[in-house]
Amino acid sequence: MKLAKKECVAMLLAGGQGSRLGALTTKIAKPSVPFGGKYRIIDFALSNCTNSGIDTIGVLTQYQPLTLNSYIGDGKSWDLDRMHGGIQILPPYQRVADSEWYLGTANSIYQNLDFIDQYDPEYVLILSGDHIYKMDYSLMIDYHKEMDADCTISVIDVPIKEASRFGILSSDESGKIIDFEEKPKRPKSTQASMGIYVFKWSKLKEYLEIDDKDPDSSNDFGKNVIPLMLRSGEKVYAYKFEGYWKDVGTIDSLWQANMDLLGENGFELSDENWIIYSRHAEKPPHYTGKDAVIKNSIVSEGAAIFGTVENSIIFSGVSVGENAFVKDSVIMADVEINKNCVINYSIIDEMVKIGAGLKIGRQMGKDSEITVIPRESVINKMGGVI
Amino acid sequence: MNALAIIFSDMRDWNMTELASHRSVAAIPFGGRYRLIDFPLSNMVNSGINKVYLITSSNYRSLMEHVGSGKDWDLSRKKGGILTIPPYSAGENHGLYQGRLDALKRVLDYIKSSKESYVVLSDSDMIYDINYNKVIKYHEEKNSDITAVYIKTDINKSNSIHKILYEFDEDGRADDILVYPVTTGNYNIGLNTWVMNKEFLESLIYDAIARNYKDFSFDVLSARVHSLRIYGYEYTGFFAHIDSLQSYYENSMRLLNMDTLQSIFYSNTGPIYTKTKDSAPTKYCENAVIKNSLIANGCIIEGTVENSILFRDVKVGKNAVVKNSIIMQHGRIGDNANINSIITDTYTYVNKDRVLLGYSNCPFFIKKNSVV
Repeated sequence: MKLAKKECVAMLLAGGQGSRLGALTTKIAKPSVPFGGKYRIIDFALSNCTNSGIDTIGVLTQYQPLTLNSYIGDGKSWDLDRMHGGIQILPPYQRVADSEWYLGTANSIYQNLDFIDQYDPEYVLILSGDHIYKMDYSLMIDYHKEMDADCTISVIDVPIKEASRFGILSSDESGKIIDFEEKPKRPKSTQASMGIYVFKWSKLKEYLEIDDKDPDSSNDFGKNVIPLMLRSGEKVYAYKFEGYWKDVGTIDSLWQANMDLLGENGFELSDENWIIYSRHAEKPPHYTGKDAVIKNSIVSEGAAIFGTVENSIIFSGVSVGENAFVKDSVIMADVEINKNCVINYSIIDEMVKIGAGLKIGRQMGKDSEITVIPRESVINKMGGVI
Repeated sequence: MNALAIIFSDMRDWNMTELASHRSVAAIPFGGRYRLIDFPLSNMVNSGINKVYLITSSNYRSLMEHVGSGKDWDLSRKKGGILTIPPYSAGENHGLYQGRLDALKRVLDYIKSSKESYVVLSDSDMIYDINYNKVIKYHEEKNSDITAVYIKTDINKSNSIHKILYEFDEDGRADDILVYPVTTGNYNIGLNTWVMNKEFLESLIYDAIARNYKDFSFDVLSARVHSLRIYGYEYTGFFAHIDSLQSYYENSMRLLNMDTLQSIFYSNTGPIYTKTKDSAPTKYCENAVIKNSLIANGCIIEGTVENSILFRDVKVGKNAVVKNSIIMQHGRIGDNANINSIITDTYTYVNKDRVLLGYSNCPFFIKKNSVV
């Protein structure tokens, strides 16, 4: 069946476990990890799509999809409940001859060729659901067209000492990529791949077929498909992105990205030209008690603050009891912090209850690590540091 | 549920000149992120009513914009949903609705065409939290023609105007109804919410047309109290009637209490829905001071806020002091400004260093789009 033709279809890779986020992703997939007081990580890629005029999105899910599925719903929170296109969740499915889990990023797209073909697109935009950034994809697609590229990879300049954590690209003056190395020991440049690709759909299809027939391939864009395209002499271009971009794949980077919302030079959520959409809890404005102290923090609707909050991110529905103290922490939705608690340098996941007078976390410092409390924990033991 | 709701958005805005000068009463912002219409609408939806006629007479642009397709209240439905009905000219009917009864006469076709057995009539200047299923059940039990929701309360002279008082016999049937009396003491005050069988309402409207009745309260309720079976259903929860600037201010300030917030916004009947705006959470800067306040999303606070309500997207500058005030959405309070007991309407701009003082029993009101 052919549906209304779309120039570009976006495919959002949301199936990863995000094992480096530890306790935060035992029950939910990485893209549904809460961020910034009222968002989930996937809101950034979805809002970027909406703001870039892309209205047809397939979301590839595999690991713990329940929260993600119900969060996305019919997509209306992102204006993606559309007559033609809109958002569709694509889990792996059974076929006549075989049935497989998604084996890698490229394989997950390969298994959904039919989904993309329905829209007969010129271009396919590949996104991942684990980055915090604001980006106009339409400009990248324009660049891709201008260069008549087969594949365009979005790149960002990273410090040389961090370059070996990323896929590093080298390009010539025209922007054409001449070399690509996944996590190189001795990086040749500081241009890191952001994991955002625009492909000519006809070309991508061709290479996915080849990749699928290679038994040695791990069916991954970065490791297999892109190097193969480069070796075959296809036109692969780098699109330089300038601005805030953070991979929130680890506890430390997730905490840091949250804290970046507080600084002057960090990431600005309040941007009327680039609204970050999200699904809302129906909660009243937040209430601050007579003895509340809130400094250098972000507080969302539905919270009730009676104690002290410093350098922290408070999500909706959080309560901070009288004389409680919260510092350098990320407190996710509906957490109950009772009176006289002291919370330092922690990430507390959704719906945790912390009994009165407890101390959680160590003061932020050189040797201290971030304390993570998994969702729905009930902590009642008196005294001591957990 | 088998009921149709008819909500009147601005039946009585004569006393609300400031807040309702450019909008209907139903569209008055309240509680940091809501408009008054959200409360009756959410009550309806939480009671399972999914067909609503919203009667609006004039100045309804902001109300229309707020309600939109109704999807934020889950009222964008294939069957039912919300329909906004401004006046239109047909036959001998011209101009704005001349009151509740005139509006009902002119939407009779819509009432007749709906399939529901019951009709709930409600205004939008009162805030309370009711389950209409219980009212309808009581209505059936008493086999009444009209069931009026009321609250027992002490009224003083200043706020007794524009209220309907009921007196009931032992069975709960009204034997006297006083419209807008000047009085004091304990009374059963009507919440301008009535339940009727749909067929009965139709017959009432035909009758009103035939006898040229003009006023629902006088000509129907009060005059026919003995010929109709009018019963009272007592409501006992949180109640606020917004009928003047003073009552707006006082009832807003009642929200600065966790128990009150709980009883309105976290009640068993369900949440209060409103139009979603996608504002980022509120940011407190290093020198912010905040006490006993209600703060919506999208604000940036650099100064001091005490005993106040900030709506969405309000900015309070460095060293600015906001006390006992209500700042509606998109308000800007400049650096070093000092304001106390002020209500600013939407999009007002208080320049830096300004000092504005009202008093708690006479809050000072600043009009929409003003620059001070």
